[in-house]
Amino acid sequence: MEQSKGKIGIKEFVAISMIILSTKLTDDTPAILYEKLYNAGWMAIIINGIVTILPIFLLIRVITNYQGKGLIEVTNQLFGRFLGYIILFALWLGILAATIIDTAIYTDIVSSMYFVKTPTIVIYGVLMLASAYGAKKGLEKIGSVAWTVFPYLQVPFLIALILTIRHGNTSFLFPFFGPGEWTIMKESVMKLSIFADYLYLFILVPFLSTAATIKKGSWISLFFVVINLVLAMTSFVFLFDYNSLMQMNYPFHEVIRTISAGFITNMETFFFPFWLIGTFVRFSVYLYINALLFGHLFKIKNFEYIIPSLATLIIFIGIIPDTPTFTIFYLRETVLNILSPVFFFLPCLMWLIAKLKGDFKHEKANQ
Amino acid sequence: MKKQINRGKIIIYLIPLFILSGCWDQREVEEFAYVIAMGIDKPKDDENLIKITYLIANPESGNAASGGAGNEPPREVISFKTDDFVVSRNIANTVIAKQISYDLLRILIVSEEFARDENFIRWIYDATKEMEIRRDAKLMITKEDTEKYILNNQPKLETRPHEYFQMIIERGNETGMTPTSDLTTFFRITEADADLFLGIYSTTEKEERSSNPINPDNFKAGEFQYGGETNNTQFAGSAVFKEGKMIDVLTIEETRLTFMLNPTLTAQEILTTFPDPFDEKYRIATRLTKNGTEDIKINTKKSTPSIDVNVPILVEVLTNHSMEHYAKDSQKRKTLNKSFEQALEKKLNELIRKTQEEYKADPFGWSLIARKKFLTIPEWEAFDWMKKYPEMDINITVDVELGKFGRQGDIPKLKEIRD
Repeated sequence: MEQSKGKIGIKEFVAISMIILSTKLTDDTPAILYEKLYNAGWMAIIINGIVTILPIFLLIRVITNYQGKGLIEVTNQLFGRFLGYIILFALWLGILAATIIDTAIYTDIVSSMYFVKTPTIVIYGVLMLASAYGAKKGLEKIGSVAWTVFPYLQVPFLIALILTIRHGNTSFLFPFFGPGEWTIMKESVMKLSIFADYLYLFILVPFLSTAATIKKGSWISLFFVVINLVLAMTSFVFLFDYNSLMQMNYPFHEVIRTISAGFITNMETFFFPFWLIGTFVRFSVYLYINALLFGHLFKIKNFEYIIPSLATLIIFIGIIPDTPTFTIFYLRETVLNILSPVFFFLPCLMWLIAKLKGDFKHEKANQ
Repeated sequence: MKKQINRGKIIIYLIPLFILSGCWDQREVEEFAYVIAMGIDKPKDDENLIKITYLIANPESGNAASGGAGNEPPREVISFKTDDFVVSRNIANTVIAKQISYDLLRILIVSEEFARDENFIRWIYDATKEMEIRRDAKLMITKEDTEKYILNNQPKLETRPHEYFQMIIERGNETGMTPTSDLTTFFRITEADADLFLGIYSTTEKEERSSNPINPDNFKAGEFQYGGETNNTQFAGSAVFKEGKMIDVLTIEETRLTFMLNPTLTAQEILTTFPDPFDEKYRIATRLTKNGTEDIKINTKKSTPSIDVNVPILVEVLTNHSMEHYAKDSQKRKTLNKSFEQALEKKLNELIRKTQEEYKADPFGWSLIARKKFLTIPEWEAFDWMKKYPEMDINITVDVELGKFGRQGDIPKLKEIRD
């Protein structure tokens, strides 16, 4: 028991990664994809899912090579202290920007779809308070919460999916290639960073119980995340057709406002709490990773203590933009476009350097 | 000491219960006036305003639990001019004590006059912005002013308005007399700009003209003549929308034929009559159901694109006034089958001609099938379905299969009785 203290096992890891990636189908990620890809937005997920195999494979290869070390330590070792510091700083800026933008979006969802009269800052505050509380409790607690709530998120999601498909029409998937094959490829790869969370999850390697956890866990969660996202994205098309879909800000929330189960209407009130729980888990993880990176960069040993201040900072930056529905939509798109090459090329670079340094041979010799 | 900590914890956990239950949006059911149906009209004297009519349900009426409040009326109606149906929620509060809520809004009622207006689409899109209006709300078109309609609509038995609307609309779909007409479908078809949208057509005004004597099915709301002591409202036929603007009204028969041709619509139970091939004086009552899915073949490659539709229909013969003996005579059944097919094909072809020549667009949702012939959306949009439709070469065949001949298959021979 002593050994597992502060560490999480494979089920917790899978639950965390599935929650933080699957909740993306409820924000404006589908809107970003459908805006350029018409009715073929769901293909982007499949294409990206396949492309993501390479960075994950390389990351696993490199990072499991150094036992017990995570992305932070390995980056430092491979790139040297100075370059490593710059890369980690850039990564930290990336996740900070992502956290700010994503929390601002979720606040916007709540304030434009559910709580119209409540001041934005209150919603933002409550959201960050809950997430910071979760993050402060540490990864082990987040993991067990994620694992506990995971079925409660997945089951309502499946209910929503079944209801949506029952109301929908499969003909809307055609013309099959939306804006054309070439555009799909190009636009999809530019949004590869939808899966960039995996890069950050590799920071958590030292907190995982065994090295096999990250290996198996990443593959299992990638597989199910792609299935979740593709099913959800296609069901949006089934229900709305591409013209309507392209104009929506948050398709998932329009979906749960449209479907009904027999005499039960106004289903959104049923799905809303589950979605909120998923949101809290997601931002707890983001905040935790943020603090972890920040703590490493600025040599703060007890990095958990900076979580509340980080959360406060995020609120004050997050509420700056006017009309968040539009501005943040473009900001998010930009961040996604910037993070995509980072997510793809950083693992390649790390693998290449490790290869040149001969670190893989070292591992073989040990065996 | 430990107890104190626990108590402290409980208090800490209880506080969010109060904070998190809706923040500023915390609402009590009692404090709301729930609009079930909203009427939208164009006032005659003012171009830039609309007239809103709210049908507000009384949740206490007809509720077994309330007991004492039985004397309150089941509904309240208010009608006034305003800029749009978003600000109207506030203005209504000059009269209505409770806050107006669209949470339970089930049906948007639009007068025919406004639906035929160019600017109708500008106002109806407010429904996508207003956060409480759900996309599965129904869209209904009334012949008269919506205020008059809502006031005249006095269901005798289903006095609770939400119950009444829900039931009559559902029943209309099942029998194929009115279309499904969701708000979301309206937006989808309008935005796709390829097909026609059909909305529910209803009225409380009876027309003096008696319905078509040749075919009693062939009428629309207002033309049905009935006596007795019941509600004045008729739900019959469909309002045709092209590019977000109403252009015409389809009768019940045409609506039902549309159900047969449209793969996205299904009617469960169509009861209708056909002329008897053995005796012109009588008509045969039948129940029609789709016998599987219609087979629609579209060729978009030809210079004049063609559509071949095969509609499989299962016909159950329910009456036999000419007293023919179908049970023992397969030849007679064949004749009957043929005559049904011919009658249906004739009617379908007439409807298609009407859509091609008069509407210049189709209400059958065929564009969805044609889309499968294209690989990319730019190609499909360049094809321009709506523009090509009037010139298309359309062939309809009906494949009738005879089902049951009522509960008892045979009837006595008239000759022997009248012997």
